[in-house]
Amino acid sequence: MPDNPYAKLQALIVDDFESFRITLSKMLQEFGIGAVDSVSSSSDALRHCNAKVYDIILCDQNLGKGKTGQQILEVLRHTPNLNSDSLFVLVSAESNKSIIMAAYDYEPDAYLTKPITGQTLGQRLERLFKQRLALAPIYKALKENQLQLAADLCEAEIQSANRYSGPCQKILGRVLLQLGQFEKAENLYRNILDVRQLDWAMLGMAQTKKLQGDSLSAQQWLEDIIQFNPLCLKAYDLLAEILAERADYHGQQKVVQQAVDISPLSILRQQALGDIGFKNNDLLTAASAYRKAVKLGENSYHDDVKFHENFAHAGIQLAKLDKNLAVPFLRDALKVVADIPNRFGKTNTSKISSYLLESQVLVVSGEERRAAESLSSAQKMMGSNESDVDLTLNIELVRALRELGNKEESEKIVAGLLEQYVDDEEQLQKIDCLLDEPCSAKNKALVAQINKNGIAFYESKDFSRAVDCFTSALHDFPQHIGLRLNLVQALMGQFKQEPGKDQLLINMQQIMEYTRKIIPDRHVQYRRFRQLEELLRGLTSAKK
Amino acid sequence: MNQEIQDIDFSFVLASSVHDMKNSLGMLLNTLSEVMTQYPPQDDIHAKSYAVLEYEAARINSELIQLLSLYRLEHDKVRAHIDECMVIDILSEQVARNYGLLQTRAVELVLECDETLMGYFDSDLVGGVINNILVNCARYSKHKLKLSAAQTAEGLCITIEDDGPGYPDDMLNASTFSETKASFANGLPHLGLMFANKVALMHRNKSQQGFIRLSNDSSLGGGCFRLFLP
Repeated sequence: MPDNPYAKLQALIVDDFESFRITLSKMLQEFGIGAVDSVSSSSDALRHCNAKVYDIILCDQNLGKGKTGQQILEVLRHTPNLNSDSLFVLVSAESNKSIIMAAYDYEPDAYLTKPITGQTLGQRLERLFKQRLALAPIYKALKENQLQLAADLCEAEIQSANRYSGPCQKILGRVLLQLGQFEKAENLYRNILDVRQLDWAMLGMAQTKKLQGDSLSAQQWLEDIIQFNPLCLKAYDLLAEILAERADYHGQQKVVQQAVDISPLSILRQQALGDIGFKNNDLLTAASAYRKAVKLGENSYHDDVKFHENFAHAGIQLAKLDKNLAVPFLRDALKVVADIPNRFGKTNTSKISSYLLESQVLVVSGEERRAAESLSSAQKMMGSNESDVDLTLNIELVRALRELGNKEESEKIVAGLLEQYVDDEEQLQKIDCLLDEPCSAKNKALVAQINKNGIAFYESKDFSRAVDCFTSALHDFPQHIGLRLNLVQALMGQFKQEPGKDQLLINMQQIMEYTRKIIPDRHVQYRRFRQLEELLRGLTSAKK
Repeated sequence: MNQEIQDIDFSFVLASSVHDMKNSLGMLLNTLSEVMTQYPPQDDIHAKSYAVLEYEAARINSELIQLLSLYRLEHDKVRAHIDECMVIDILSEQVARNYGLLQTRAVELVLECDETLMGYFDSDLVGGVINNILVNCARYSKHKLKLSAAQTAEGLCITIEDDGPGYPDDMLNASTFSETKASFANGLPHLGLMFANKVALMHRNKSQQGFIRLSNDSSLGGGCFRLFLP
């Protein structure tokens, strides 16, 4: 074939079934592709992709062990590599595309359902290559970050009203938003929506409104999308962002939870649910979501040690509220923290962090002797590798010492840290999580603001919002006595409004119990603490 | 024990096993086409056997896909994901999908569609409907099939015509193709039409809603299936 336009192209096939690789390879060669490589696993696929540029990658979704097809795509699109913009075709036996797509964040260039015939494949490839060729100048401009040029090219393409107008409208909208040309973007989306209610255009409109600072309209658009297409996960993500900006953390958690229910395999959303659940002190939700995030992280580019640590911390906090409920989480948390050096590199830092977390998990599991052993292993390593010990590790050390009741030593370290970082606002902000009063300027102001908001809710008798306000602040400043007592007082207000809600009593008792452990006798709020204790005792005995 | 059996969602069990069957069938279809290329038919009888094998496997495959889709429409709240599509792409995709089948059955397919015709619909669902009707028509037509699309006052119309005996009266007279018309007892579940009807209904634009229409006024002399998408 002298005029075969595909003779110079390189293709990669990824499938764990040999017969399928052979069939597909034959089909590609018949189609005219010059060179075809085949591999059977995700690790081989990534190795090949780091060594050679492919024009097209045909990848099966289910590859047995290791990464899935989607996770390979995730790596290719997210990390610098030779194939970051190669055509990626996902192949699967699943006939319903939306079910697979709903679970992930990256869209392949095409999606093929098995069984594949030579004709189907040939036709799809021809369409893909033609589109690639036709839009090459736009992709080039985008790659070189020449956004205005990309926008102009898109507009020309849309003007000519050919088969690529649709894809160009989508690109143009994104580019206009990046360029900050909100009015133009709004017009584009409005013109599309005048003809037809399409979810991507509605989403674009919501993004535009949000960027214009009109978060109420954005929210309205997003709620419409979710009504219209409940599988449009990007709508949930954006809505959660808006609610977070508005400090409506319960609303945010509800939306993230909905998104997780639709796409339980999405690691980013499980991580987000863990974070927001933790912030709202919904420890069961947090621990469950973090556990899933850790599991999904096994083969994902988005895995991060932070979520492994947070899983342990959520489990530890849950154990303080409900020992029985926490048991299965603590069991898993022990495995997870022990595995940190294997998963994230066997450095001194990761080994020490692993010991310190292990010690805390063991204390709440009732194994104080083993906990003390882990702690001393950590301290030994910290002593002989001082250069590896950073603030984060010291914070974890203080927590571990406190869990074991070693107050003297923990407070000595805290004092030392405060001295060491006295002029370092950024580090002081991190230390604030250990203190009963923040020392950094930023957090001082933050706590003052939260108190002001919470007290305003309290005074207008909106007790449940006051409770939310103090609860989410306590996540960042768990040692803060004032916030803690304010929370108890708000809960008391709520209990007077809803006297049937015994859970509120239990919550108050738990908070007071913890406060008793951390409050020094000479604390300025000690008298208030004793008064609240007295009041709570009265409420509890009245109940009996 | 009895309680346990009652607690099992039978349709879920069915759907899961249908999913497995579909995967196995996929392997079977691939192997079959490999065998057919490696050992081309020696005579007419041989060719006919291949045709039967391929046709029946394709039919089971598309039935299973529909069963699954119907299950999901009911249970997973799958909604039509409507986007702008080039109609010619969706039509030729289905023709390519059935290329082997049409060839072995010696049915000639004519595709008539303006290259620039655009539509708003869920390409997967509509593709599934076209595929199923094509597979079915391949069985009843003698020599010829026609797949065409055009814009009409009632929306985009996708038409599949054949030169077979036409649709039986009871099918033509059925005003809707809802589940109640599907009677397994008389052997006419019309699963394909039920699915087509469901997919059509999922397509709405302002006050208009999609629908299907059967008739025997095919330009080829047989049955005529029309899918209208507003």
